Amino acid sequence: MLPDVLKVRTSDNVQIGYVAAGIPSRFMAFLVDALINLAVLLVAGVAASALYSAMGSSGGVAEAVALTVFSLMLVLGHFLYFAILEATSAGRTPGKRALGLRVVRVDGSAPGLGESLVRNIARIVDYFLGIGLFVAFFHPQSRRVGDLLAGTVVIRERTAAMHAPPPPMQPVLLRAPDAGPPIDGLDRVGEHEHGVLRAFLSRPGLPPEQRARIANDMAVKLFDRMDMAPTAPERIWPPELFIERLYLQLTARLGHA
Amino acid sequence: MRVEDFVARREQSWRELEDGIRRARRGRLRGMPAQDLERFGMLYRRAAGDLAIAARDFPDQPVSEYLNSLLTRAHPLLFRGPSPRLSRVVRFYAVELPRAVRSAHVYLYASLGLFALGAVAGWLTVVLRPDLVSSLVPPQVLDGLSQGHLGNDQLKQFAPALAAFIIQNNIMVSLIALVAGVGFGLPTAAILATNGWTLGTLGAAVHQAGFDAGFWSLIVPHGAIEISVILIAGAAGLMIGDSLLRPGLLRRMDSLTRAAQRALVLAVGAAPLLVIAGMIESFVTPSDAAVGAKLAVGAVTGVLMWSWLLLAGRRGSDAAKARARKRAGARPSLDIPGAPAWSPSDAA
Repeated sequence: MLPDVLKVRTSDNVQIGYVAAGIPSRFMAFLVDALINLAVLLVAGVAASALYSAMGSSGGVAEAVALTVFSLMLVLGHFLYFAILEATSAGRTPGKRALGLRVVRVDGSAPGLGESLVRNIARIVDYFLGIGLFVAFFHPQSRRVGDLLAGTVVIRERTAAMHAPPPPMQPVLLRAPDAGPPIDGLDRVGEHEHGVLRAFLSRPGLPPEQRARIANDMAVKLFDRMDMAPTAPERIWPPELFIERLYLQLTARLGHA
Repeated sequence: MRVEDFVARREQSWRELEDGIRRARRGRLRGMPAQDLERFGMLYRRAAGDLAIAARDFPDQPVSEYLNSLLTRAHPLLFRGPSPRLSRVVRFYAVELPRAVRSAHVYLYASLGLFALGAVAGWLTVVLRPDLVSSLVPPQVLDGLSQGHLGNDQLKQFAPALAAFIIQNNIMVSLIALVAGVGFGLPTAAILATNGWTLGTLGAAVHQAGFDAGFWSLIVPHGAIEISVILIAGAAGLMIGDSLLRPGLLRRMDSLTRAAQRALVLAVGAAPLLVIAGMIESFVTPSDAAVGAKLAVGAVTGVLMWSWLLLAGRRGSDAAKARARKRAGARPSLDIPGAPAWSPSDAA
């Protein structure tokens, strides 16, 4: 199954694709964040209540302010944790970082404070009766209600684990020891066909019968395109041999090394 | 070009971009020297060009996927929303929030209407069906009022904790009224009407029992701000619901996203005012001050709040210009000399 891709155009009108994160990895990231959040709130709560009992109740406005800050922290701390961390780390809370996830806007840019606040206050709706899970389950990019409101998507950065260009796939010749006799109609095919032949030959791991079938299909199309005479000897070569020889001769004609 | 040549020729520049990405701290390029920053932008645009070439010439090669992943990592570093700054808070409350409230006046009327509807319905129910009063209004409330309970010393002792609870509770209610708007505004409408209903039934029952002054002196001091904020949060929720019901020329999803940003300004901006309301509710309301003084507190805070919301952030020059234009009776200057005068009504 292909992952769901968020397509974005850069300012140079080049299309780049972000891989949308799935529900399981997002849930794992949520668990990590929730645990960290809980630990922080617990420590802050214990410290605050120790301080409170040490100072004693005065009944004044200052005490009310302190208690308000504290109770707001307990109730809103969960939402603020996500909102503040997402806004200050370009969409990567510790949990998301651990799972290789990131929040981006639907245009691929990093979220600001506005988006972070919207998508995390909307957790109130998302938690209610599991609405968020339900909506994400049916959304092609697994967006929950908060994402829809904020115009954000959670993407997977794990595919970015490679930090250097991987070597190109090399064509592997399994049969032809040499280019063989010159093939008629070679000038009727060019770069495009060369690329297709190369892509085919770069996959030596295909099951033999499947490889043979694909080679046969390709050979039939190539005979057509090259206006091959019905009596040409190439038509009775094994298709895989024909393709490898054609590739070698085409490489030589196009001047590739 | 062969893919090997392509990679060999461009690899150095991609590695340099990788380096730049690695140097970004906390997802931003702040702190990078100016010339490096310029170079980063150039490398990003080159890599984008390389991806376009690779996608055309070598779509099956791993290098295409690599370039895509390289660009998805570089893109959010260059393109981002404004960073949160503390200095924006002042401008937000001096200009942006009042403007947002004024531009949402339609939703404020709707919010007020739903609240009033609930209140009138509650009042009428109590008047028309006296047999239901005992189930609508807890009898303790009336007993408490008749004995002056709600102003006693016991309550004053817990004032700080009471304030904390009330504030926290009201902020949650206003945030719920905001986000519940995604249910096509219906949950928000229900929250507004229920709050009105509670006030209406209580007010009517108290009126029948003859404790009007005592009751309203318990509601008005903080209620002026508190109810205003709930109405603003409700208006924000209704705005979100309306964006789904009537998206106009936008797709519903885009309309929702746009409305959510506007609504956030209203609800999240107004919610901190509930701290003031909660403080008044815990310290002024149960105090021994005269009824008149308590009502005055409500009136003053209400007038202050709404004159701020209605007057702050108006651009004087703009308003003056608009008035001047009106006085002069000027039309948009599309008039062509010699042509018949054009007026907007002709276009309709």
